[in-house]
Amino acid sequence: MGSFFGELWSLATYHNILFLAKGALTTIALSAFGCILGGLFGTLLAVARLTSGWLSWPLRAFALLFTEFFRRVPFLVTLMLCFFAFQFGGFDVSTLTVGCVTVVLIGTAFLAEIVRAGLQSVHPNQWHAAEAMNFTLLQTIRYVILPQAWTVILPPAFGFFILFIKDSALASQIGVVELTYVGKVFNNRGFSAGVSFGVILLAYFMLSYPLSRLGAKLEKKLGTSRTR
Amino acid sequence: MDYTFQYGQVWPYLPYMIKGAWLSLQIAFLAFCGGMLIGTVCAAVKTFGGGFSRHAVNAYVVFFVNTPQLVQIYFLYFALPDLGIFLSSYMAVLLGMTLNAGAYLTEIQRAGFESRRQSEMEAAEVLGFSRLQQIRYVILPHVAKVLFPPLSNHYILMTLGTSMAAIFGVEELTGRAFNINSETFRSLEVFSIVAVIYVFVTLFASVALALFGRFAFRTKMRVV
Repeated sequence: MGSFFGELWSLATYHNILFLAKGALTTIALSAFGCILGGLFGTLLAVARLTSGWLSWPLRAFALLFTEFFRRVPFLVTLMLCFFAFQFGGFDVSTLTVGCVTVVLIGTAFLAEIVRAGLQSVHPNQWHAAEAMNFTLLQTIRYVILPQAWTVILPPAFGFFILFIKDSALASQIGVVELTYVGKVFNNRGFSAGVSFGVILLAYFMLSYPLSRLGAKLEKKLGTSRTR
Repeated sequence: MDYTFQYGQVWPYLPYMIKGAWLSLQIAFLAFCGGMLIGTVCAAVKTFGGGFSRHAVNAYVVFFVNTPQLVQIYFLYFALPDLGIFLSSYMAVLLGMTLNAGAYLTEIQRAGFESRRQSEMEAAEVLGFSRLQQIRYVILPHVAKVLFPPLSNHYILMTLGTSMAAIFGVEELTGRAFNINSETFRSLEVFSIVAVIYVFVTLFASVALALFGRFAFRTKMRVV
C-alpha cells in the first residue's frame, strides 16, 4: 500500500498533471463536438423521417438507413471504418479528425432517434391544428412542436452526452490522445497499471459524476414544468 | 479516391466471422445474465435494504455507471495481476462487462421495483392469493411490462459493447476482423462486412425480443 501512494506521488508532477488535463479536455471536446454537430444533423434526419408524400421517400429511406446502421454497429467498428476510409481515400488527416468524424456519425444517429421521439411526443392534435392553419412542415416544427418538445428532448440528449464521454474512450485505439490514451502512456512510462488506470478511472468519474447529477436535476426541473 | 473494393479475397473468411459473431453473442448473453443477477439483488437491496448495504450498493452503481467500461476492463486485465489475480482476456472482459452491466441493470430494475403498488398487493391478498401467486400473477406481469423494453434495449447495447473484447485479444467478431485484416490487408472490405453482420445480429435480436415482449408481457415495442 505504501508503494502505491509513493508511486502516486511520483506520478503527480507538473507535466503529468498537465498531460492528464489535456487528455480530459480532449475527451470533453470530442463528446461535445459529437453531440452538438450530431444534434444538428440528427434534428435534420428526424425531420426528414417525419416528411410525408411520395416525392420525399428517398429522404425518409436515407434517414432510416443511416440511423439504423450507425445505431447497430459498434463504436469500434465505425471507428475502424472511418480510419481506413480516410486512409484509402488519400486524405492526410490527424487521428483526432478521424475520431471527430466518427463521433459525429454516431451522435447523429442516436440523437436523431432522441429528437424524433421528442417530436412524436407532442399530441397529434397539435400537428393537425398546425396543418389546418396551413403551416408548412418546417413552420409546424419551428413554431408549434419544438417549443413543446424540447423539454422531452433535452434530458435524454444530455444523458447521451454523458454516455458519450465514456464511450469515446474507444477513440484511444486509433491514437487520439484522450484520457484513456493518457492512462496507456502513464503505464508505458513505467507506472504500474493499478496506478495509471486507477487515476484515469478517477478522472472519468470526476468528469462524469457532476454532469450526471446536473442531468438528474435537469430532468426533474423540466419534468415538473411539463406536467404543470 | 481511386480505391477499388475487392471483396473476393474476404468472402472465404465469412464462416470464420460468423463463428466470431456466435462468440460475441455468447459473451453478451453471459454478461447480461450475470448482470441481471447482480442487478436484481442490488435493486432489491436498494429498495428494501438498510442504511449501510444501501450505501454500498449506491457506491458500486455510481462508480461503475460513471466510468468507461473499457478502462474498467483495462484495470481488471492489467492491474489485478499485481495483486496476484490472473484473469484470461476472455474472463477479464466477461467480468468487466458483467460488473458494468450489473450497475446499469440495478438502475433499470429499481424503476421496476418502485413501480409496484402497495394497493395491488393488498388487493391480491384480499383475494386469497398466496405470496408466490401474488408474485406470479400480480407483480411480475406488471413489473415485466415496465422493465422489458429498457432491459432488451440494454441487451442490444451490450451486444455492441462486446466489440471491446477485441482490444484484449478475444477472438470474437471484431477480434476476428482484426485478424483477417492483418492477413489480407483488405481493411474496408473486412470491416464493412463485419458492420453488416453486427446490423443483422442486433436486428434479429431486436425483432425476437420485441415479438417475445409483445406475446409474453403485452408490451408495445417497435423495432425501427
